[in-house]
Amino acid sequence: MEQQSTVKKKRFPLLRVLAGLALAVLLGLIFGGEIPWFSDTPPIEILNDMDDQFKVKPQVGSTFYADRMASRELVPNTFPRNGVLYPLDKSDFEFVDSIIGANPLQRTDFVLNRGQNRFETMCAPCHGNDMHGEGTVVKKGFQQPPSLLAENSRGLTDAHLFHIISAGQNLMPGYAEKLPVNDRWTIVQYIRSMQESKPVE
Amino acid sequence: MYTKATDKLIKKAAIWLVAVIAVVFHIGYFGFHNRVTDVGYRPTQPVPFSHKLHAGDTTNGGLGIKCMYCHTTAEVSAHSPVPPTSTCMNCHIAIKTESPRLQLVRDSYEKNIPIEWRRVHKLPDYVNFDHSRHIRAMIDCSSCHGKVEEMGVVSQAKMLTMGWCLDCHRNPEQFIVPARPISGIFTGVKAAAYQPNAKAELGTPAPITEPSFGYVPTDVPKQEVAGIPMPKKPGHGPENCSACHY
Repeated sequence: MEQQSTVKKKRFPLLRVLAGLALAVLLGLIFGGEIPWFSDTPPIEILNDMDDQFKVKPQVGSTFYADRMASRELVPNTFPRNGVLYPLDKSDFEFVDSIIGANPLQRTDFVLNRGQNRFETMCAPCHGNDMHGEGTVVKKGFQQPPSLLAENSRGLTDAHLFHIISAGQNLMPGYAEKLPVNDRWTIVQYIRSMQESKPVE
Repeated sequence: MYTKATDKLIKKAAIWLVAVIAVVFHIGYFGFHNRVTDVGYRPTQPVPFSHKLHAGDTTNGGLGIKCMYCHTTAEVSAHSPVPPTSTCMNCHIAIKTESPRLQLVRDSYEKNIPIEWRRVHKLPDYVNFDHSRHIRAMIDCSSCHGKVEEMGVVSQAKMLTMGWCLDCHRNPEQFIVPARPISGIFTGVKAAAYQPNAKAELGTPAPITEPSFGYVPTDVPKQEVAGIPMPKKPGHGPENCSACHY
């Protein structure tokens, strides 16, 4: 009898240890910072005063308009105040040299660095960082663009290159909306400098 | 008055009450912190777009498209845009043209109706965060958004609380991730090889002539070409209220 009771007292308190561990884990998660799970439900907000104001916000839907778009489309025949309208269509090659003219930017280090940055961001997915036309998107099945180091590309004028960047060519979309005018000229400068430093293909 | 048993019971009850209140308080107070309620928010998007595929490592099957290819105006405007459907169709006009997952994208493109993406990172409306200022200071996207190029579905990685903002404004050298090649941020110098654990190089603080209200400005470089944002070395961010709440 005596022995049995002492054995019973020394039994491992499994339930309490588990409960303690669970609490420790919970507190550890709360204090520790890293939350290992993901949630599809929007964050809980205890005091959400003025968190969501009734105003027009960029790219956020609005109940004010019937089509629920807060960002309105342009009124026909207008363009944004600081916007620059590209005057030519995709096929207007004959007007290119007379209307667009020469590259206004000097070839400085800054212009070339910017051109490289923009080229590797906006052009390299298809044309590739080395301009051979073997970008990562091409490897996934997009039509391969011609090499920018080839004879044909070297023969184009600066204005012609600028026009292709702005309005597109064949499958290539125009980048006039995504690249401001001077960014496009820096890309032209960068392509020219690469063409001069690399052998003809 | 009380028997010994009652006395013991009351003492026990008092201890339990204090313990329960303490636990409930701590869970309530710290458990509803943003790092619990907001971090890990991962909404299901209408189109199962994978940043891991599009921006991921090229050696690992990703395409390595830089952040700024789609989120173009982050360096010139306060709002970093979700790209319009036409950006998707730059490539998907020729790639995976039959994929049922892209049906919504094609519909949106043909009918000129925007896709209603669910927003992951949301600040309260009384806070004005300006992307362009931070991008021009060469602060990498991942400083605030985590490594999005490794996420299949984007989730919120950082707390986005005011204290978290101020931590970095006060000690930028500890928290800033310098611009990485994958983000496409312009640093003004020739693109260098990626150094994973590089620390941000801070600019020299300009001499303060007026009361600074916690704002220590760094040298602003001269504009070289009109329309091209000049990168500027990061410094200590402003700590005055009206820097963000205006």
